[in-house]
Amino acid sequence: MSNLSFDWENILVDTADLHEGIVTITLNRPKVLNALNTQTLKEIVLTLKELQRRDDTRVVILTGNEKAFAAGADIAQMLAATPADQIKDEREGLWKEFTLFPLPIIAAVNGFCLGGGHELAMACDTIIAGDNALMGQPEVNLGITPGAGGTQRFTRTIGKARASYYALTGEMFSAHEALEMGLVAKVVPSRTTLAEARECAKKMAKKSPMALRLIKESIQASFNTSLDEGLKLERRNFYLTFSMEDQKEGMRAFLEKRSPNYTGS
Amino acid sequence: MLFLRNALPTTLVHKTKGNPMSDWSGLEFIKCDIQGETLVVTINRPEVYNALNKAGKAEIVKAIRIGNKDEAIRSIILTAEGKAFCSGQDLNDRAVQGKEGKKVDLGHTLETEWNPLINAIRESKKLVVGAINGVAAGAGLSVAMACDMIVAAPKVKFVSGFSQLGLAPDAGSSFTFVKGMGYSKTLEFFLFNEALYSEDLYGWGMINRVSDNPLEEALTMTQKINKMAPLSLELIKKNLQEASERDFASVMARETATQRFLGASNDYQEGLEAFFEKRKPQFSGS
Repeated sequence: MSNLSFDWENILVDTADLHEGIVTITLNRPKVLNALNTQTLKEIVLTLKELQRRDDTRVVILTGNEKAFAAGADIAQMLAATPADQIKDEREGLWKEFTLFPLPIIAAVNGFCLGGGHELAMACDTIIAGDNALMGQPEVNLGITPGAGGTQRFTRTIGKARASYYALTGEMFSAHEALEMGLVAKVVPSRTTLAEARECAKKMAKKSPMALRLIKESIQASFNTSLDEGLKLERRNFYLTFSMEDQKEGMRAFLEKRSPNYTGS
Repeated sequence: MLFLRNALPTTLVHKTKGNPMSDWSGLEFIKCDIQGETLVVTINRPEVYNALNKAGKAEIVKAIRIGNKDEAIRSIILTAEGKAFCSGQDLNDRAVQGKEGKKVDLGHTLETEWNPLINAIRESKKLVVGAINGVAAGAGLSVAMACDMIVAAPKVKFVSGFSQLGLAPDAGSSFTFVKGMGYSKTLEFFLFNEALYSEDLYGWGMINRVSDNPLEEALTMTQKINKMAPLSLELIKKNLQEASERDFASVMARETATQRFLGASNDYQEGLEAFFEKRKPQFSGS
């Protein structure tokens, strides 16, 4: 594959671990606590699209800094906005495209993870949180509502009573609370969040990339379909793996007590 | 050396190793002094037994925050001027008095004043050593016990006092004392408000030392701390806090993540080299 380099304004793309299949995207607007403006979202999506065109990426880590994963939207920019401005904004399409990336995205979250930032983390496949993480949907404090999953993914993940409590009070919750609610997969010391996300990424990156894609597709379907439809898709994907070399390799390696060598075919 | 309100920051910078960018101005109820690499925060309202009003609490939080940002500071001591360490809430603060039939919201005082102070100490990445010079009462008891290590003068009184006012102990003291001396002893202490003394708490393992000069003893301890690896200190502190709150498996998982992280640090390399070269390590915090 050709060398991969990006020159973005608002994010950093680290491809140093690409030999292991891992790419790390870091939100990089520390002065505004990584407020998620349209440009940032666009840079993330364009990066994902580029990664999707290549066959060496297995897992993407999305992270911020010690203080903030992303603390909401750019309020100053939004103050004078009209409905028409919001409708014309490309954000809706960008959010959709973000979810179309077929391989796992791990959110490594430290510090503030609020509003649009929280919605971005929830749009990832899993979340590893540092113990200093503070999460929530504080839109109600500004007289608006969450607009990109903060009432939908949030409710489907933690249930109506708790999603309503947090979205209607605007109260933040801690990493440990998020863990108890099933919103994050792990809480780790905040110094180690990125390292632990990388450990998680390494585990995933060693699996069959086709299996990763199909599992992601099946799990995403559980958010969008009835149980019957979801089970049907899951079953189809399960059958599909038996048409692939990776299934033979995985099972052979298991029986021969060695590590599998997946090719993604 | 004391840095009171309006003290020139440049003077402070010149005489200490503190970061010139740190803004120590506007302190009215506390004094801040940098001794070597230790920030000494002294509550300075001896005329009211160092009771804390809203601004006083905010100043301690600010000092701890600056201490955490300032790379030249490696540890923090919290102590007080005069006979008392801290007598808790300043009851002259209007917000805590219910006058003319109006009820007060003490929950609000906790949420916006005391809890942030306790959390600032607990979340401080740099260890906070309490040098308890005199009585610690009410929420002052919680402040003293929130410190990472505690040195108290002999026969210092520790009093809860809340039940006497028809209230319940707050700012984390229920947790600290139940962990320290169990349910029944804590209940008795909270119900009848008889003082425990430094020597009692030392016996329970709830304070580290009893010393005639707690500040001097605390400085001796921080001198040791200041030579240690900062990331190691920070994570040991955090992991022990978690250990007292969570289950064995999750604490062991934290230790694993911690060790993976520290094992990749420069300070671990330095620690190893120093060990084999039989010299003292020079830790950089990276």
